[in-house]
Formats: sequence, C-alpha cells, structure tokens
Amino acid sequence: MTTPDVHALTGAYVLDAVPELERAAFERHLSQCDACTQEVSELRETATRLGRVAAAEPPPWLRGQVLTRISQTRQLPPEQSLLSGGQRRTPGWALRLTTAAAAVLLVASVALGVALVNTQNNLDDTQQSAAALASLLQAGDAEVQSAEVNGGTATVISSDVENKALLLSSGLADPGAGKVYQAWKLGDGDPKSAGVMEGNRLTIDNLGEATTEIGITIEPAGGSTSPTLPVLAQIQVV
Amino acid sequence: MREKLRRVPTGGQATEGAEPDADQLLQAVARGDEAAFERLYDQVIGPVFGLIRRVVRDPAQSEEVAQEVMVELWRTATRYSPERGSAMTWVMTLAHRRAVDRVRSAQSAADRETRVSISEASRPFDEVAELVTMKLEHEQVRRCLGTLTDLQRESITLAYYGGRTYREVGELLDTPLGTIKTRLRDGLIRLRDCLGVTR
Repeated sequence: MTTPDVHALTGAYVLDAVPELERAAFERHLSQCDACTQEVSELRETATRLGRVAAAEPPPWLRGQVLTRISQTRQLPPEQSLLSGGQRRTPGWALRLTTAAAAVLLVASVALGVALVNTQNNLDDTQQSAAALASLLQAGDAEVQSAEVNGGTATVISSDVENKALLLSSGLADPGAGKVYQAWKLGDGDPKSAGVMEGNRLTIDNLGEATTEIGITIEPAGGSTSPTLPVLAQIQVV
Repeated sequence: MREKLRRVPTGGQATEGAEPDADQLLQAVARGDEAAFERLYDQVIGPVFGLIRRVVRDPAQSEEVAQEVMVELWRTATRYSPERGSAMTWVMTLAHRRAVDRVRSAQSAADRETRVSISEASRPFDEVAELVTMKLEHEQVRRCLGTLTDLQRESITLAYYGGRTYREVGELLDTPLGTIKTRLRDGLIRLRDCLGVTR
C-alpha cells in the first residue's frame, strides 16, 4: 500500500476529485502514512486559497435563517477530528485473532452455521468452505471484520499471508428479482469484481496486496464489470 | 458563564480591540458560543458562498448548500482541532465537499451510466477562459496560477471549481488518468510553494 501511485492521489483527494469508492481506501492509507497526511494538510491549505478567491456576496436573509437554525441545533459531543477520519465508514466492530481468538471463532462459526443450514444439499461444498475457513483462521495475520448490510451482517475473514478472504453473510434482504449481491476488491485504481454471492458465502482467492477493502453492491444477475452505486458496505481487510 | 467563554478568544490578541481570528472563533463556537458563531459567519460566508456558487452554479441550490454547510459547521465545531489546519481550511473543505456532493448526486441521478457527453467536452475551454477573466481578489493567487503548466491549471480548475472527479477530468482533457493524478498533485505542490503555504 505504499506504492507511489497511492501517494499521487493526495492532489485529487484534497480537490474532492477522488470517486467515493477510492476515497475510503485512500483515507485508510492516509491514517497509516504520516508523510501523506502532512502533504494533504498542506495541499488542503493551498486549495483553500483557490476557494477564497471565488468569494461572493450571499443574499442577506441567509444569515438570519442560519442563526435561527443553529439556535435549534444541538452540537456533536467532542471526539476525534471529522476531517481526518470521522467520516470514514467504520465497521461495527473489529477483532484481531491474536487477541480475541475465542470471540472470532464464535462469530465465524455462527456465520458458517448459517451457511451450513443453507447448503445442506451440498455437503462437499460446505466442507470445502469449512476447510477454507479453518486454514484462513490458522493464518497468523487473519483478521475478522463485520458490517451491517441490508438488514443482515456481512463478515470478512482475510489473510495477507494466505492472500485470501472469505465473505460470509447472514440475514441479508433479498436483493430483488433478477439481482444479486456482488463483492468488489477495493483499493487503489478501479474496483475489481471479487465474485457474485451465491448462497451465503464467497471465497475470494488472490485477494491482492493492493486490496484494502471488500465492497458489496447489488447488481443484475450474473454480476457487472464495474460496481453500481451505492456501495452497501465497505469492509476492511488485512 | 457565557461571558467568560466569550472573552477567551480575544484574550490572546496582541492588538487592542482586534477581531479574533477564525481559529479562535471556531474554538469558542465549539463551546456553544452563538455570538462567536455570528462573528465567524461574517468572516467566512463570502468565501463559503462564493465557492459553493462556483461549483453548484444554480443560485437557489447554492443558497441551500451554503445554509447546510454553516449549520454543519456549528454542529461539528466540537471536532475541530487547530493542529490539523486552520479554521478557514476546515470551513472551506466542508463547503467544497458539500458542493461536490450536491452536483454529483444531481448528476448521478440523471446520468450514472452515461459517460461524460460529447457536448461537455467543450467545457474545459469555457472554464479556463472563465478562470482567466475571473476577478481574482488575490493578485498572488493569480500570479501563482500563471506559473502552472496549462495541463496543471486546467486539471485543477476542472476538479476544484468544476467539481469533476479526476476520471472525468481525464476524459474531458483526453489525458491518461495517471497523468491527471500527477498533474493535480504537482500543480498543487507548485501552487503551495509559490503561495508559501506552510503548516
């Protein structure tokens, strides 16, 4: 994730010229790159100078309306800065295998249990899935992340070492007639399809070092070559 | 209590009776000081409205977005921290983002699947012409924009004032995406150095 290509996005980023999908991935990179953060902050001040020269007189009534509205608006409690990360979509929770192995295994087995119920007629497939899950969980760097999607939960277990991820879902609403859930590898550059969800799980081989998140969208049956917005969830991977 | 808080921003001023700067005002706003907000409004509304107007274009929508931005500024003032940048940059970042959100959501409803149409391909020239004739308040910014290459300047203008994504900029200027990314960055770096922006 420290390729020069990623750094090159600092300019587009401060100009709000990075499409939604890439922005989240870049912001994640930012949080790990002090040099980029410094550069973004300087380029942002620079962009502000461009903004200031566009100054124009607003209609006078605007002031009264704004003041009335703020007198009726409660302020947020103090927290970390919005500019540098508060706006990033964060998953509901995150656990590292090394520190919370039991919890991870519990969650994973619940998710897999759902998958099992739904695939009783395809035992081999399920066993394969279980084997994939086991080998992933044994990887030293396995990470489990979960997010709410369309009334259900999507869980991604990923490992850089194994170069693999497993996407498990439970309780997702029906995507609609002729529609499917499709997963995407998000990172620098164009989103790449990670496959269409069949049943409640999807094995993502060749996760790729550049992939920072798995995105989920609803697409026409058979899947699309590029994602249709909105992205329902973006789940971080190792 | 409020009186005490209100004095805080002016406390550190060297000059007697000088207007507190936006950073100090925003910190007072974070403590719920409505009077500080009024003064901050007067300091920033010109640039905020002007930038939104430039990106959104439609006057009624620009007024709406400006209102949203100012209310959001009040609501989120508690999250501002001066170490991350100036209050002016905080406000302008918010304004630009909301303006861009507005044009993109309007656009995506209409032409999510359509690529930038051919008729729009003539737009960069208008934008650039407009930039050149734009009444720049700051001579320095104009001079520094003049030090950029045409491609740097056009890319930055289309992205910032036009609210375009770098992909759209690439299509409009018929230039590879990698080049656009690089031009946006090195153009801004050149501007930064020319303007003497430091953090």
